Amino acid sequence: MKEIAVISGKGGTGKSSFVLSLLPYLKECIIADCDVDAPDLKVLLGEDIKETIDFYAFEIPVFNEDLCIKCGKCVQHCNFNAITEDIKLKDGACEGCKACEFVCPTGAITMVKHQNGHLYTRDTLYGPMVDAKLFPGEESSGKLVSAVRTKSQELAKTHKLDNIIIDGSPGVACNVISTITGVDKVYIVTEPSVSGLHDFKRVIDLIHIFNTEVEVVINKSGINPDQEQKIVNFCASLGLTIALKIPFTRDIPESIARLEIPSLSDIDFFKSSEWVGFIENFIAYLN
Amino acid sequence: MKIAILSGKGGTGKTTLSVNLFSLLKNVALIDTDIEEPNAHLFLKDTPSLKDTVNKGYPIVDDKKCTLCGECGRHCNFNAIIPTKKNVMVFADLCHDCGLCKMVCPENAITYTPKEVGKIFEIQQPEKTFYYGLLETGEISGVRIIENLKEIDINNDTILIDCPPGVACNTNTSIDGADYAIIVSEPTPFGISDMTMVVELLQKRGIPFGVVINKAGLGNDDIYSYLENEHIQLLGEIPFTEERASISAAGECIVDHDETFKNILENIILKVKEVHA
Repeated sequence: MKEIAVISGKGGTGKSSFVLSLLPYLKECIIADCDVDAPDLKVLLGEDIKETIDFYAFEIPVFNEDLCIKCGKCVQHCNFNAITEDIKLKDGACEGCKACEFVCPTGAITMVKHQNGHLYTRDTLYGPMVDAKLFPGEESSGKLVSAVRTKSQELAKTHKLDNIIIDGSPGVACNVISTITGVDKVYIVTEPSVSGLHDFKRVIDLIHIFNTEVEVVINKSGINPDQEQKIVNFCASLGLTIALKIPFTRDIPESIARLEIPSLSDIDFFKSSEWVGFIENFIAYLN
Repeated sequence: MKIAILSGKGGTGKTTLSVNLFSLLKNVALIDTDIEEPNAHLFLKDTPSLKDTVNKGYPIVDDKKCTLCGECGRHCNFNAIIPTKKNVMVFADLCHDCGLCKMVCPENAITYTPKEVGKIFEIQQPEKTFYYGLLETGEISGVRIIENLKEIDINNDTILIDCPPGVACNTNTSIDGADYAIIVSEPTPFGISDMTMVVELLQKRGIPFGVVINKAGLGNDDIYSYLENEHIQLLGEIPFTEERASISAAGECIVDHDETFKNILENIILKVKEVHA
């Protein structure tokens, strides 16, 4: 089984457009949308849900007002400022450590399972998909990403499919770490801007910690030649392969707006030898 | 007045709007809370200086005191401390710094030691202050850095908070205490889909908000009917042009080059002030 993850550092560089554009060329695979707090693949691949799984990341305290003597020990010992002075739980701050339950002298705290989101499976034209939705404001998006990965691996086994294509989230913290842990190869989609370059460098730092095989895609090529040259020089200095440059064109966001996969729209770039060659290499790597 | 600038989807123009408003307004502060990938400082002429480092504690076990009773491992909910037959292994990266292992240890064998998880940088000018946080790469969470950023005492009339993408804990912490929020969206189905999650978050938190449509013309009209149906105020539209994209890509403020853009932003400010008054 091969798992390939697409990440970017900076948001909005075109991860999802890139992932979607690959799918029509591949034999059936598992599609995993690991951007759990902004999942978008479903918008083009179909919103119909096959299975919904409730996701519980941890337990949170419930306070029994009859037993609580308002001693404030739970407030003092909570390192996440998750309990207010009047002994109520703040939304989204608890990390489920259970220190409050331990220090409560009257047994007024019980821990209950807390739902942080949903996991979904869907059938798409290009293979089964797993995605998720974190409830807005919640903790534990990294754990939800791991749950999407685990479910994708299970589906790959039951459907006897060899490959998993993962669409990641922006950033470099828990979501992205969970997205790239143990994958075979990472594609980083960047863009020629000061922000794109800055965030690209940070994501490369992260990749180096994990020592994962990596290739670079420059999207929106042409929008700023100076910055693009800086990305090219930076890649050269580290021996990173730039596998693809996708020129900026209004046609790509416009195809998304029509709910069409960009590579299936009438866009010149996707007929070019550069794209065809890239796809050939991509397929060769998977096989 | 504290204004959070957020989007759901990445790359819609949160930072572009934030830095240009920062340039335009008088007596203003800007806090970039996208500690994973902060970008606002790239658009400012001055170089930020280090203000603070942000630490997280993790446990150190005193082998001489430890009896290998295993209580720490049984109580840890993050698999960060694991007693074996010979010693106690600590995984600092997994530790949430909750302190429970220290509380439960009957031998008082556990102390916490600080580990740097991030930094806070600043630029101080008369009437303009800027802060941003930077997470160490490889760290799982920067919520503590955002909390520290939010605790800084700032006296400027307007405080802009350039938030991270998404709607998870980072964003939730970033919008704490905001009087108003500006959602920056784009007229694509992805922009709308991710915006709905932000709308849900802001409604849950009771923070009033309006929407700026960036890259207008680069997509379709669905976003306008969405806003109308949901009774969400449209604060302004910024038409997409390749010149604007190129100026931003170079790390410059568009207000310095583009009068029309400047007027659009001035109108957005007026509308926000009207709502807030």
